[in-house]
Amino acid sequence: MTVLKNIAAIAKGMSITFMEMFQPTQVENYPDGPGPLKGAKFQDRFRGVHVLQRDENGLEKCVACFLCAASCPSNCIYIEAAENTAEHRVSGAERYARVYNIDYNRCIFCGYCVEACPTDAITHGHGFEIASFNASGLVYRKEQMLAPQPAHMGANAVFNHAEVASGELGVR
Amino acid sequence: MADVNITVDGKKVAAPAGTLLIEACKSAGIEVPSFCYYPNLSLQGACRMCLVKVEKMPKLQTACTTVISEGMAVSTDTPEIHQARKSMVEMLLGNHPLDCPVCDAGGECELQDMTFAYGAAESKFIDIKNHREEQQWSPVVYFDRPRCILCYRCVRVCGEGMDVWALGVQNRGVSSVIAPNKEDHLECEECGMCIDICPVGALTSGAYRYKTRPWEMRHVGTTCTHCADGCKTTLGVRRSDTGMEIVRGDNRDKSGINGDFLCMKGRYAFDFANHEDRLTQPLIRKDGRLTPSTWEEAFELIGRRFKEIRDSAGGQAIGVVGSTRTTNEENYLLQKFARVALGTNNIDHHRTADFPALAAALRGKPEATASMRDVFKAPAMLLIGNNPTEQHPLLAWQIRNNVRLHKARLYVINSEPVKLRRQAVNFIQIPVGSEGNVARFLSGDDSAAGSISNPTATRDAWVALRDKLRGEQNLVIIFGSEIRGEDIASLVKFGSAVPSAKFVCLSDYANSRGAADMGLYPDLLPGYHPMSDAGKWRDEWGGVPQTPGLTLPQMVESAKAGNLKAFYVVGANPVGRLGIDAFSFSQRFVVVQDMFLTETALIADVVLPAANAYEKSGTVTNTCGDVQFLQKAGEITGAKSDFEMTVRIADAMGFDVSKLVPFSRGTHSDMGQSRGAQSGEVDRHGVWLEAQGLEPKMSPFDPTAILDEIQRLVPGYGVSRANLLAGNDQHTTLSGSGAGVQHDPALIAPANDTLFTSGTLGRYSRALNSVMENRQKQPAEEVAAD
Amino acid sequence: MADLVSHPDEVRVVSRRFGQGAADIDRYLQLDGYKAVQKALAMQPDAIVNLVKDSGLRGRGGAGFNTGMKWSFVPKQSAKPKYILCNGDESEPGTCKDRLIFEHDPHAVIEGVVIAGIATGAHAGYIYVRGEYRYLLEIMQKAIKDAYARGFLGKNIFGSGYDFEVYWHGGAGAYEVGEESALMESLEGKRGIPRIRPPFPAVVGLWGGPTVINNAETLASVPHILLGGAEWFAKLGPPKNGGTRLFCLSGHLNRPGVYELPMGYNLKKMIYNVGGGIPNGRTLKAVVPGGSSCPLLTAGEIDVSMDFDSMMKAGSMLGSGGVVVVDDSTCMVKFALRIMKFYRHESCGWCIPCREGTDWLDKILVRFHSGGGLRKDIDNIQYLSENMLGRTFCPLGDAAAMPTISIVKKFRKEFEDHLDGKPCPFEKAGAAELAMA
Repeated sequence: MTVLKNIAAIAKGMSITFMEMFQPTQVENYPDGPGPLKGAKFQDRFRGVHVLQRDENGLEKCVACFLCAASCPSNCIYIEAAENTAEHRVSGAERYARVYNIDYNRCIFCGYCVEACPTDAITHGHGFEIASFNASGLVYRKEQMLAPQPAHMGANAVFNHAEVASGELGVR
Repeated sequence: MADVNITVDGKKVAAPAGTLLIEACKSAGIEVPSFCYYPNLSLQGACRMCLVKVEKMPKLQTACTTVISEGMAVSTDTPEIHQARKSMVEMLLGNHPLDCPVCDAGGECELQDMTFAYGAAESKFIDIKNHREEQQWSPVVYFDRPRCILCYRCVRVCGEGMDVWALGVQNRGVSSVIAPNKEDHLECEECGMCIDICPVGALTSGAYRYKTRPWEMRHVGTTCTHCADGCKTTLGVRRSDTGMEIVRGDNRDKSGINGDFLCMKGRYAFDFANHEDRLTQPLIRKDGRLTPSTWEEAFELIGRRFKEIRDSAGGQAIGVVGSTRTTNEENYLLQKFARVALGTNNIDHHRTADFPALAAALRGKPEATASMRDVFKAPAMLLIGNNPTEQHPLLAWQIRNNVRLHKARLYVINSEPVKLRRQAVNFIQIPVGSEGNVARFLSGDDSAAGSISNPTATRDAWVALRDKLRGEQNLVIIFGSEIRGEDIASLVKFGSAVPSAKFVCLSDYANSRGAADMGLYPDLLPGYHPMSDAGKWRDEWGGVPQTPGLTLPQMVESAKAGNLKAFYVVGANPVGRLGIDAFSFSQRFVVVQDMFLTETALIADVVLPAANAYEKSGTVTNTCGDVQFLQKAGEITGAKSDFEMTVRIADAMGFDVSKLVPFSRGTHSDMGQSRGAQSGEVDRHGVWLEAQGLEPKMSPFDPTAILDEIQRLVPGYGVSRANLLAGNDQHTTLSGSGAGVQHDPALIAPANDTLFTSGTLGRYSRALNSVMENRQKQPAEEVAAD
Repeated sequence: MADLVSHPDEVRVVSRRFGQGAADIDRYLQLDGYKAVQKALAMQPDAIVNLVKDSGLRGRGGAGFNTGMKWSFVPKQSAKPKYILCNGDESEPGTCKDRLIFEHDPHAVIEGVVIAGIATGAHAGYIYVRGEYRYLLEIMQKAIKDAYARGFLGKNIFGSGYDFEVYWHGGAGAYEVGEESALMESLEGKRGIPRIRPPFPAVVGLWGGPTVINNAETLASVPHILLGGAEWFAKLGPPKNGGTRLFCLSGHLNRPGVYELPMGYNLKKMIYNVGGGIPNGRTLKAVVPGGSSCPLLTAGEIDVSMDFDSMMKAGSMLGSGGVVVVDDSTCMVKFALRIMKFYRHESCGWCIPCREGTDWLDKILVRFHSGGGLRKDIDNIQYLSENMLGRTFCPLGDAAAMPTISIVKKFRKEFEDHLDGKPCPFEKAGAAELAMA
């Protein structure tokens, strides 16, 4: 009886193996796939390289409140704040981030910064190809992460959902 | 007075009669929240946050206006009270802009705290908030009405605390608004107390606005380097490309001698530290031009030249000028360096008060000097000369608030109608320069009455005043530098007729008193010991030059005559401030250690970039004799402390540094204080030490190494080290001082600074120069010369 | 100048000289003027205080505190001068009685001030007249000048050896200054904001001296008590509510006006009998019984006796005697809004609940009345009002909260009728604007 039981168990297990064998493959054809993402596909919630958003007027949403830096467990965000003036307006509020750096040597993509942001200025994009031989290049500056001007402000509509990869603006 | 017993939340509390309920609760460890209540300011009852239930009272009562009475039973935490507080916060937040992410107060805002503690998570308010544009009231004060919760703290601290009354309330109801005294701007003392006391971000500082957030800074409690009052100030420091940047000065730490107080200079005038004119590398004169060079080259040159001159022409061919802003350790080290390494007594400093005469007069009289804290508690005060409101803002604050809160009696005798006359029970105006006669008259010399009597202050009035003063207990006698030499002795003689009288002698710079105590005199060793009384030091140092050296004017004459060959100036600007003849030094070897290219630095052969008081640690002594510790806030790339430079010069001269700084003896635990946050300094010291074959953990650059010697040898400085390092002030007395010497009164040159000037430093502070009240703006050509 | 009205039920005590030209000092003297003060000069101060105490005279300003009792709190010995302060800053919507007193009988006020001074040992009195009553100030100035000219004021009044100075002061138009401590601040030349109590004015008041502050009507009653006796005065009204009272009837009435009726007069009778009922065949909706600060009474609640204690039992207050009658053409939301606008405007801004609460309530009510109301707003209005009640620095917050709470509670239906973007149901009906005094 025990032999039969064992055979049955093996058959049951193997049936799953054989069933899965004929299912379509779930593995992405990255990096040989089509498109700028080279076949990579993401869930929307995927946490990639950060994107600093703009508001509908094209102004930066970031008001340099430092809450992202404060919440960052790996201490990888560096900000220098400055005051907006009538002549030089960068963000919608009184203050803006003159310098906004994220050190991807340290970032663990935990998303706390996104949660902490009171103005929804920092979001996770889908950029993931950031590996580099040069560690100093992994400190991303604000300009590298900033979303482009919105379409109605004269920019390309393709950039509306900013994709940032490898520190350069990618196109979906 | 017998204590009154009350019950708070079932807890028995005893407090002195007359205590406010809110304070009684606090003493029992029960927090009663409030916005408008502020200790030592008048009561408001406006914010309604401190509502508590007092038994037998139908309505909730404000704890801040209720005086405790025997048997009172109070509850501070019932659902009703919680609801009342919650609704207060809700109503406040109704019109509050909720721009916390950009607000400067975000993170240290009392409204935020209260909302977390008592408020509601959700807002019921959906209507349009009242808005008003932000206003700039002065270069340093901004006002954002929507954020204001109308607690009236600013109005009260400005009026009651500062006696300036520059703020008031306009309109009524929901359009009530705090308003400045000159319609759209402020004309006041620009102390910024209103900003500090503001519980929210309604009043913001022009210097700090939108620069950073409170938690992004390191908060370093140190001592202000401007006037001689020695306020404790908390610097907000953040890293920057030049090493560090001080972004804010305030008095978060209210434990200092200044309590709530800080003036314009303490709050804003730290900005000289980041001035772009600061020297960042040594300059050596080559072909007539000051040329950037390396530290090694500079030290080597100075060491070689000093050694040459000392060996060929003797120590008396070298003159040394010390600083009134450097630490006690640096001053002590400098005079030791002059006397031991250079072998000369030619050491002097910019004298702004006659401390040797005071030391001589008070010798052997214990408890005869008043600390800054004593001034706040004294039942009576006599102020002769000086204008503390301008020159000693903290002292003026102490006097004013002592009068206001403790009903102290203030007597003012001055040649000008100084502002403190408003607090005085008796103000007498005297002719300019007759302060000395007042001292003589008070001491009993009736013949001096003639020159000070006038129709408004007759001889009889003077006699009556003297009798009244003699009847005072614990009188604190405060006098300015107008009283010098013999007159100080007269004043002390008068003081000995008054029971427990104490003295305060007013000098002008942050460490003027320390410079005097540390013996930056050609004829006095530390602790006012004349050269004839050098015993202790001879034993300690193995020899002290016998003959008194040259005073600063004598050095100039000597240089002109060709006898003085080298001139070593540490943190002073005698050319700019004392008007000495720069051409006297034209063929001499001049070394200047300073932050900036001052008038004196311009004639130097070597200029060494110095660190300022915020960039080093050590002790300073204020004009009252309170010793405090300087906490290093950070360092600027390229500058070294005067202490380090002096040690390096001695080393370059081939002098055994361990003879100068006793770093191989005793306990020199500086508890990490002198090393600073940046590793640069420690590393730098480490490299040098290793090269010398020394153990790195005990450093000759550690000022506390020489503090041991100071504490051992200088009378009065034997204070608790732990207390000093903890940031507490400790009073030193002059009773154990040496005999002192009578100096020529003409050697004293008061700085005559105002609230908005600060010697040479003041001209490098943008904040000080930005306010319209600064009536002594530098002429254009002088700025160009810098 | 308002026309005077009359009704047979009236008992004329304070108003007995109205319409007889008593503002003229000679005429006043003919009408028993300045007799009471001469009588007072002959009496012991304690006797005057007891007489007033026994008469049951209670403060006519609204709080209804026994006047004699108030006087007795003034210390006999005082290092600082004592003062008598006549509160003529009558600003309560619906109340207009002091106006008539100042206009028709200014000397009675002066006489009352002097008597209060004699009773408490004060030698100076201030008559504070509401800023908007600029034209009455002239009458008062003349009256004081005349009294001085006759030697009734100043040094050695009536040859008695007693000195008494009377000063007038015009307000700058603030309801808040009707509060006694704010009145003192205003008189001292400061912003009209209330003071922290204790100390009470009777101990530390004007310029730091002990001060008696009484309503103009209260002080104008005092000479009559001295002449008529305490017993006579007390019997005019129910127990502990001595005398008569000037009731200011306004709103939707056939015969609005100021009537002097005994304390304890029935409110229903007052509206339908004295006031002549509701005009245009309308029916009664609500009554504000004592000025806009009092909780409203609905048509079913008006069969009450108008004295301090009965009104308290009925859930409202006698207040300052301003009876405002509201008929069924009135939108109660708008009524609440109108009241709140007043209090928002008049809040001194000192304390949070009153300053922010009135502003917030005003914003909600404006939005609500214009059709933007949400169901939760109704509860919010009640929530805010209830959280203002009893927690403000001075009674102004209570004054704003009490009518609002009563309107929301008693007329919740009308609020609900404004919901869902519906226009105000009363606007269509073309209801007349509610006229408030």
